[in-house]
Amino acid sequence: MTPALSVSHLRKVYKSGTVGVSDLSLAIAPGDFFGFLGPNGAGKSTTIHCVTGIANPTSGTIEIFGVDAVKRYREARRLVGLSPQEFNVDTFAVARDIVDWMGGYFGMNAGARRARVDMLLEKFDLVRHAKKKFRELSGGLKRRVMLARAMVNDPPLLILDEPTAGVDVELRRDLWRYLTELNAEGKTILLTSHYLEEVERLCRNIAIVANGCIVRRGSKDELVQEPGGLEAAYLRATGAECDHVAA
Amino acid sequence: MGVNWIGLWTIIRREWSRLMRVPVQAFVAPWISATLFIFVFGFVVGRRISLIGGHRYIEFVLPGILMVNIVNAAFLQSSSQIYFSRFLRYIEEALVAPLSYAEMIAGVIAVVVARSVITGIGILVIATAFGATSIASLPEFLFWIAAVAMVFGLLGIVIGLWANNFEQLNILNVFIITPLSFVGGMFNTVAMLPGWLRWLAYANPLFYFINGLRHAMIGYTDANEFIGIGVAVALAVVMSLAVWRLYAIGYGLRE
Repeated sequence: MTPALSVSHLRKVYKSGTVGVSDLSLAIAPGDFFGFLGPNGAGKSTTIHCVTGIANPTSGTIEIFGVDAVKRYREARRLVGLSPQEFNVDTFAVARDIVDWMGGYFGMNAGARRARVDMLLEKFDLVRHAKKKFRELSGGLKRRVMLARAMVNDPPLLILDEPTAGVDVELRRDLWRYLTELNAEGKTILLTSHYLEEVERLCRNIAIVANGCIVRRGSKDELVQEPGGLEAAYLRATGAECDHVAA
Repeated sequence: MGVNWIGLWTIIRREWSRLMRVPVQAFVAPWISATLFIFVFGFVVGRRISLIGGHRYIEFVLPGILMVNIVNAAFLQSSSQIYFSRFLRYIEEALVAPLSYAEMIAGVIAVVVARSVITGIGILVIATAFGATSIASLPEFLFWIAAVAMVFGLLGIVIGLWANNFEQLNILNVFIITPLSFVGGMFNTVAMLPGWLRWLAYANPLFYFINGLRHAMIGYTDANEFIGIGVAVALAVVMSLAVWRLYAIGYGLRE
């Protein structure tokens, strides 16, 4: 079966000489809910940027549902929705326009776009805030706009980089529910998060990244059953010292 | 894959909405500036200058005033659009979308030309009040507006991709474009220059643009207008290919 995402020997070296990703390979099956963990600077976001076209890979290949993400980038990008970690938004634009424009970029006609944007604004409880400028929104509301924007084109592969950072408990739980529904419908989801509870609750398979490469991978069940649970497995994989809580 | 027309239209309407956040800066400011130039140089000073090529001085300087404002409008529109989209990182929205580089560039240039045309029309209306508006050849006039807007819009994209701070964003305009505009025949004919300085006019692309627009408006020319058309077309083609290449390699766009 063609993987939803196939990354083969990805290497990314920045102009400054910093190695963002040294040698990373992974394959995510269609319909998987895949957790991508690692400490800050491990290479998670760099990998995501290379997959989605925000960064140029130095070497390696990336395929999205079998489509080369570099050589056939336009076809590949139709298949992906991204909610990045940083707010990469025109902060003077209103929430509705931000989501609507992204739908337009993906070639959605006006009618389909309006319906989809209305649904997402409703889903993320943004209707009351639809006409407010992004800069006027709270951190949690900004995160909701980012998520709505990522989903506007209903992509088969959804990449969520720290989607619940700064979000309140209610939205986090609503989002978990929504993501679980989407995954049950067949959507492939790649999630990075520092909330291990979130990864444990949602993901079926996990890869742990450190120093630009994958240091551990396995099913969630496998990692959770290790002594100390997922947190201890994570700390062992990244070389961090387990404290008395995790051990 | 075919052309993403909806995506292209989205870029255009998005950039238009961004432009409409600053209508006074975008349109009223150049109209006021042009009014002052027309009044002081064209009317007050011009009444004391004898005819140039059979035309009143105010008719002679108007094409230069028009061209300078079109150049500025085009350059500022694209350079600021690209720079701020990089600065706020929302350029990444286009990078993750199924948009071709040609579509991204065409979307930016479409709004550049629209802004330049509106700026130009406003100046023509103002000049009518001084009895200075005439267009000898409408097709040639429209060619110059569109071609120059495109050339400087593309140059603005290059600077927008290159600049890493606000100062760099304005360097080219302050030290190159504006000076070249003023010594590009805006106020004078080539014959008015000292002999040893005339080569500077012929080596200045802005001279051909101003001269070309002047020919389109009042029929006066200081050089073969087809050389100017050739320069404009060549620059538009070279700049288009260069900008497309910069997008393809991700210069200033992708890490």
